Order: sequence, then C-alpha cells, then structure tokens
Amino acid sequence: MLVTSLNIDATEFHAGTGWEIKPEGACKGEVCVPLPDGFDLASTAERLGMAVVHDETVGMWAVGPESLNGRALVSATAPELVLDDADGNEFRLSSLHGKKVVLVAWAPY
Amino acid sequence: MSEPDASRPFIEAANATHPSLLDPTHKVDALFGVINIPNVVWIDETGTIVRPAEPGWPPGDFYPDFLREYLDARDIERETKAAEVEATNPELAAKLRGGQDRDSYADAIRDWVAHGVDSRFALTPDEVIAGSQDRPQDKSAGAAHFELANHLWSTDARDAAFEHFREAHRLQPENWTYKRQAWSLVGNEAAGGGEMGRFNQGPLPGQESEWPFAGDFPTEAGATPAGDYYPKTLQV
Repeated sequence: MLVTSLNIDATEFHAGTGWEIKPEGACKGEVCVPLPDGFDLASTAERLGMAVVHDETVGMWAVGPESLNGRALVSATAPELVLDDADGNEFRLSSLHGKKVVLVAWAPY
Repeated sequence: MSEPDASRPFIEAANATHPSLLDPTHKVDALFGVINIPNVVWIDETGTIVRPAEPGWPPGDFYPDFLREYLDARDIERETKAAEVEATNPELAAKLRGGQDRDSYADAIRDWVAHGVDSRFALTPDEVIAGSQDRPQDKSAGAAHFELANHLWSTDARDAAFEHFREAHRLQPENWTYKRQAWSLVGNEAAGGGEMGRFNQGPLPGQESEWPFAGDFPTEAGATPAGDYYPKTLQV
C-alpha cells in the first residue's frame, strides 16, 4: 500500500492491506492481533510485521504485507482481491463465493 | 507489462469465459505469495484456500499468433539441446527435467473438482499456511520497495525506481515476478518496444554497462534448474 502520510485511518488501512480494525484488534480471516494502544499506522504495521519504506524524493511510504507468522498466508481464508479487467471493470474475488476458484497468475511479458 | 493491450491478445486467443484481471501492482504476490508465473491458487466454495500458490498450468497452449511462431522455434531448439544433454550428461539432464509436471497439473484440478475436500490434492488449512511462501519481515520490505519502484517508474523517476527495484530484488531474490517486471520494462525500452520488445529481459549485446540491474533473465534462468524455477509441490 502506498501512502503520502502515515496519518491514515483504519478504513484506508483495511482497503490497502486487507486487515480490518475491530474492537479485538487487527483482523484478517480468523486471525486477530490485539492493538493495546488502538490503531495508528506505524504501531499497527509493527505489530503485524509490515515493513514501512519511505522514499524522500516523492514523499511517499510503502507498507509491505504482513509477516506475522513467517509465511505469506496467516490464514487459509482467501483474502479479498479487487482488480480491474482489461476494460476497466472492477472485479472482486469474493463475488465467486459458492464456486470453486482456480486463480492463475500469468504474465504477457 | 501491465497495460491492458499487452494482455488482450492472450485473453482473446484463449477465448476466455472466466474473468481475466490486470494486476499492475502485483497484489497477488503480497496477498497470496505468488513469486513466479504461472502460479496457481485453489480456493473452495467457502472461500478457503486448499492449495497455496504453486507452479501450475491450465490445459492447452493459448498463444497469440505473433508468439506462436517464436515459441515453436524455441521448443525445437530446446528439444535438440535437451537430447544433447541427455546423451552427454545424464545427471544434469535429470535436474533439468525436474520440477512441477506441466502435463498432469490439470488432472489434479479435475480430481479436486470431482472430489472436493476428499481429493488427495486438497490440503488442510494448516498445510496451506505452512506451504505458502516463506515471509520473514525483510520480504515484506522487498514488497514495499517493489511497490515504490513501480510507482516511481510510472512517474518517470527512473533512477529512484531502479534503486527500489534493486532493493526488491535483493530482499526477495526468489521472486521472479519482481525481477522480470523490472527487466522487461528496461529491456523493452532498449529493444525499441514492439510486440517482442518486452521479451527482451537482459542487456542487448554491447549495452551491458547500461543495464541497471545485478541480474537478467537469460543469465539467471539459464543457471536455474527446472526443479528450482518451478518447484515440484504436487505428485499426480
């Protein structure tokens, strides 16, 4: 997730990372990580093992994905994936709930 | 290359009836642990992943005409070379033959479609998590550098983009998509674009000193046995 300020709210954090801020903490799938001091980007990223990298030339920060358990997946619950098709129409992976899905990542290099 | 027009000929050649989506910022890397293409993830009706990202191929070859001719020629060259290696160096030949089996991958998918959770290929949640990519925090930093690099490239801040690409490659050396993205952007430019420009993922002869990255595709892929490039995760 790219941000121009570290002062973002929980809604933006959820949209950018898939981690939802709830009373019990930062949650994804069935996993919740307590946030004793509530939500702010820097401390939440630290709790979730997300790297925050700054580029001074453009004044932006990039927040990397969580590295909570040392694996790419913290849960087997599929994360939401929102992408556009080639005509610019938004598609949500969750709209396929109820069907088996084979997600194939390819490239037209 | 993430522009719609780069993907469109492939989508049309496949006559795809499923959604075909663009992922210019490599969300599937961060969310699913994709590190190479093709990589495949299986998700059941409840939205539960039953196989984490792994090398896999759909049945059939669907290539646009402009690429078919090139690939046919390359296949003939590869087969000739493989026969030579087989005859002269059986140990190396075995290594080159290793890795995920292309031809039977679709059979495993069919088995899961038929048998669901009882398919021997469907993994438990714990197995899925354990089988997903390794991700200590420095790999999260690699992903962050990659996102900055892509953004900076799109704003023509080339030198800054190169720095972040190099950091992404250093921190996630196993991620071929991070490397090939950078290599194809620069290689395409050097080759003058066109249909085949983006397949040029290394320095052109005589331009080696201008190449901004530590590696390039012909060198690194050439030194990587098939079993490392497409590790075997599935026994059909």
